[in-house]
Amino acid sequence: MVLDQERVLAMSDLAYGAGVREGMRRGGAMMLVPQAVFQQRAPQLEAEARHAVAMALLQFTPQLAEAEEDTLLLDIGASLRLFGGIRALCRQVQASLRALGFTAVLSCAPTARGAWLLARGRAGRALTVAGLLRRIAPLPCGLLPPARPYLDWLDGIGCRTLGQLRRLPRPGLQRRCGRALLDMLDDAHGERPELHAWLAAPASFRARMELFDRVEHAEALLFGAHRLLLQLTGWLSARQLAVARISLLLEHERGRVARPPTVIEVVLGEPTWQDTHLLRLLKERLAKQALDAPVIGLCLEAPQVQPMAAPSESLFPEPGGSKEDWQRLLELLSARLGADNVLRAAPSADYRPEHANSWISVQEKIRPAALRAQLPPDAASLPRPAWLLDQPVALLMRDHRPYYGSPLRLCSTGERIEAGWWSVPQTRDYFMAEGEDKAYYWLYRERGGEDASPRWYLQGLFG
Amino acid sequence: MTMTAPEEVHPSLWRASQLARGATPCLDTGFAALSAQLPGGGWPLGVLIDLLVQQHGIGELRLLQPALAALGTRPIVLLQPPHAPQALALAALGLDPSRLVWLRSGAKSSDALWAAEQVLRSGCCGALLLWQKHARGETLRRLHLAAQSADTLFCMLRPLEAAREASPAPLRLSLKPAAGGIDIGFVKRRGPLREAPLFLPLTPNLLQRHAPLDRDTSATAPARSIQPAMVGG
Repeated sequence: MVLDQERVLAMSDLAYGAGVREGMRRGGAMMLVPQAVFQQRAPQLEAEARHAVAMALLQFTPQLAEAEEDTLLLDIGASLRLFGGIRALCRQVQASLRALGFTAVLSCAPTARGAWLLARGRAGRALTVAGLLRRIAPLPCGLLPPARPYLDWLDGIGCRTLGQLRRLPRPGLQRRCGRALLDMLDDAHGERPELHAWLAAPASFRARMELFDRVEHAEALLFGAHRLLLQLTGWLSARQLAVARISLLLEHERGRVARPPTVIEVVLGEPTWQDTHLLRLLKERLAKQALDAPVIGLCLEAPQVQPMAAPSESLFPEPGGSKEDWQRLLELLSARLGADNVLRAAPSADYRPEHANSWISVQEKIRPAALRAQLPPDAASLPRPAWLLDQPVALLMRDHRPYYGSPLRLCSTGERIEAGWWSVPQTRDYFMAEGEDKAYYWLYRERGGEDASPRWYLQGLFG
Repeated sequence: MTMTAPEEVHPSLWRASQLARGATPCLDTGFAALSAQLPGGGWPLGVLIDLLVQQHGIGELRLLQPALAALGTRPIVLLQPPHAPQALALAALGLDPSRLVWLRSGAKSSDALWAAEQVLRSGCCGALLLWQKHARGETLRRLHLAAQSADTLFCMLRPLEAAREASPAPLRLSLKPAAGGIDIGFVKRRGPLREAPLFLPLTPNLLQRHAPLDRDTSATAPARSIQPAMVGG
């Protein structure tokens, strides 16, 4: 239950069921619902919430203004075609409001004040001026803030609706009620140009929110993160930017020991300005995150942004999807599997097979030319197995032949590799061998010492 | 009255004695003998292909190599291979190392299946090779369904014992090593049953780089091919 100056302003459904109504005194409400939790109205929090919604809605139009009594005005005249018409646009606005966790009344009208009146009076949508006039005529006069001090008088002369108010003689109305009321009426009917102070998006993005409860599971934070991401998308499209790196800070409860917030950093290979991909990445990262302490707040920052690149629409889409799709897939895979489990080949010019075959994380960038330079010019003539064992397997000897499941028969000439005196020296003779199971193996004989019995190892399998 | 042949009624109908000619796009295997035995004349794209290998390293990559090389520049994902793949060897097989991505599964065993599904659904990759030991029926069905969303060549390599279990894959081949190549058994295909395995010669192409070490017979000079004067007689 929210109180404003000791009177009930808003309540939960449960309290409403118990008989609590708007405007009741604190004492009365307490008597009806003794276990109720009372909250003081916090204008600061309300302003923050309005700001959060405004940021998120910036993705639909750059022209957005805050109006009286918790309303936001959006000029969507230029956005209709982009978002697929008025119905689709209204649906998208509603959906993003729901995702933010707010409920709102949505109206649209040819004039901003008209839309404001329709929303305040919950009178639906109007697309033409005639429809607007029809819809606002039956609304009560009390909706207009300048008319409120004169409500008793208006009621006394039988003027209860805006339509009736409009038919009163203008000079008399102006003398009694002032200029503001007439101006507002004219705005609504489109007879006066309206001026709005459009909201400007700030130069850098940082949004934070407090959670309602202490959250101990990282996955439960996704809902809050989604709300922050929506604000980020609005901000990005208002500033025509794309984000290359975002960091989500999980603020912990201040216990006996102060802890720094846990930072989840998401680096994108391909800058984006849409929240769906970011949300999927954050979901996988949060699923992996183990929380040391309960989280009480979230904060989202976009430290690295760059200008939005216009999407290039090719006439014939490539069969394998675009390069961005591939980058997005790799990012998604590294978010869940871990960056060190998504690897790309980076062969290095080294004679020792273990060192030549190196794989690095896909997030490390190497130039294709540098990659090619590391390959030997005659790669096709080097006998190398497709699979390399992590650790060479020492082989048994039977009848002076290496034995691995069955006696192995050498079937190629040896290749002597003697290198690595600078770090790990290797002196080996490599052979290909065939087992009785007709599979091919890659063996080596350790040269080194002068002992009589050569030691054989299995190092690779030919795929 | 003549009866219409069933294969003319609908493309997904075929006689038990002939190979299906489905609408699935196919990629040539590069081996004429094998392509002739597969419905559509090659590896079907966008479906689950079950390759049942007796053991790793018997030539499964050499079998797939012509098809993988024909994919052009599209990436190839190796998911959970049994050992570390060697880029140099794959380069020798004609696969550019910059096209290769090696995915190791994370902490959970379901990660590999999740990753396979993501790769298949995105449709950016030319081929996905997945090594898996055990797979349940619903997992296979799910992967088969995911594979149909794009035209990725999707091969699942499983041990030979899995041949006894049912699978939704329309093509299942068993691979066994044989002298100088591999024996391909047709566990399941859209076509007539074939009991005899198909032998495909597949030797590592580098085997004969130099003369073999243990020759059967030593080179002998034919009689009277050497001039007596040179012998110094």
